[in-house]
Amino acid sequence: MAAMAIADGYQSEWSSAQIEAHLAVCADCRQEVGEMRGLTSLLDAQVRRTETEDVWRVVERQLSKTRTSPRAHDLRPLLLCGVLLIGYRIVEMVPDRDFGFLFKLLPVLLVIAAFSYLRENPFKINTELRLEGE
Amino acid sequence: MDDQVAIEKCRAGDHDAFRHVVERYQAEAIGHARAILHNREDALDAVQEAFLDAFQALGRLDLTRPFYPWFYIMLRNRCYKLANRRRKRETSSSDEMQILTPTSSIPPEDTMLLEKAMLELSADDRELITLRHLDGLSYQELAERLEVPQGTIMSRLYYSRKKLREKLERHSFTRISRG
Repeated sequence: MAAMAIADGYQSEWSSAQIEAHLAVCADCRQEVGEMRGLTSLLDAQVRRTETEDVWRVVERQLSKTRTSPRAHDLRPLLLCGVLLIGYRIVEMVPDRDFGFLFKLLPVLLVIAAFSYLRENPFKINTELRLEGE
Repeated sequence: MDDQVAIEKCRAGDHDAFRHVVERYQAEAIGHARAILHNREDALDAVQEAFLDAFQALGRLDLTRPFYPWFYIMLRNRCYKLANRRRKRETSSSDEMQILTPTSSIPPEDTMLLEKAMLELSADDRELITLRHLDGLSYQELAERLEVPQGTIMSRLYYSRKKLREKLERHSFTRISRG
C-alpha cells in the first residue's frame, strides 16, 4: 500500500528507501507491487471518453419552471410566521377563553407552511451522511 | 466570461449567465457521473439535477474557491441517490463504452476489458480510480473532493485497485502482471 502511495506522489510514513529495502527481500510484496505498477501504468494511459451532450436546454427549462433566484431565501415570510406564532402564544394565554379546535391547529399549519416555503422535508433521513474516515 | 463574474450575475438572478457555467463544466460533469453510474441517461439526469442544485446554492459558494470541486460534491450526491434508487433495477446492457475511449497507444481489446472490469466495481471504487487515473487528481485533491482524510484515500485506492486487478484476472487479462 505504502509503495503505491509513494509511486502516486503521496508522502507516506515509510520512505522509498525503506520500501525498496523491504521489496529486495520479500518476493510476495515484490510481485504484488510489480502487478500494481503494471495496473497503474495501464490506467494512466487511458483517456476519458469525450462527452458531447448538452444539458443546458433541460437545465434552462427547469430553472424557468421551478426555480427563481439563487439568492438566499427571502426571510420575510419566515419572520411573519414567527410573529404569528408569538401572537398565537399571547392570545392563547388569555384566561377563560376557548377558541376552538381549529385555533389549536394553527401552529401546526404555520410550521407546515414554513417547511413548504423552505422546500424541506423535516422527516427526510439523509442516507448520504458518513462518519469521518469511513 | 470569467466564472466569478458569471456566478455573481447568477446570484443576481441572471439565468443566462448560468449557461456559461453549465456549458463550461457539463462535459466534465457527465464524464464523472457516467463513471459512477455507468449509464448515459442516469448520468444526464444526475448532472441536470446537480446543476439545478448548484444554481440554488450559488449564494453559499465562496467565490475565492473554484466552482467545480464545490459542484462535484452536489453531483456525487445526486449520482449516489440515483444509484441507490436503481440498485434493485437492472442496469442497461449497452455495448457503448461508458468511461474510456480507445487510443492508438493501447490495444482496443485491452481498453474494452479494462472498462468491463471497471464496470464490475462498486460505484465508490470506480469513482476513486477514475478521479485518480483519468483526471490525475492528487491525494490531497481526492481528499477534498471526497471529503475524507488522505490516509483513507491511500487505503481506499489500494483496495480499489486490488479489486480491479482481480476483476481483470478473472477476465483473463494477464498483461499487467508483467509490470
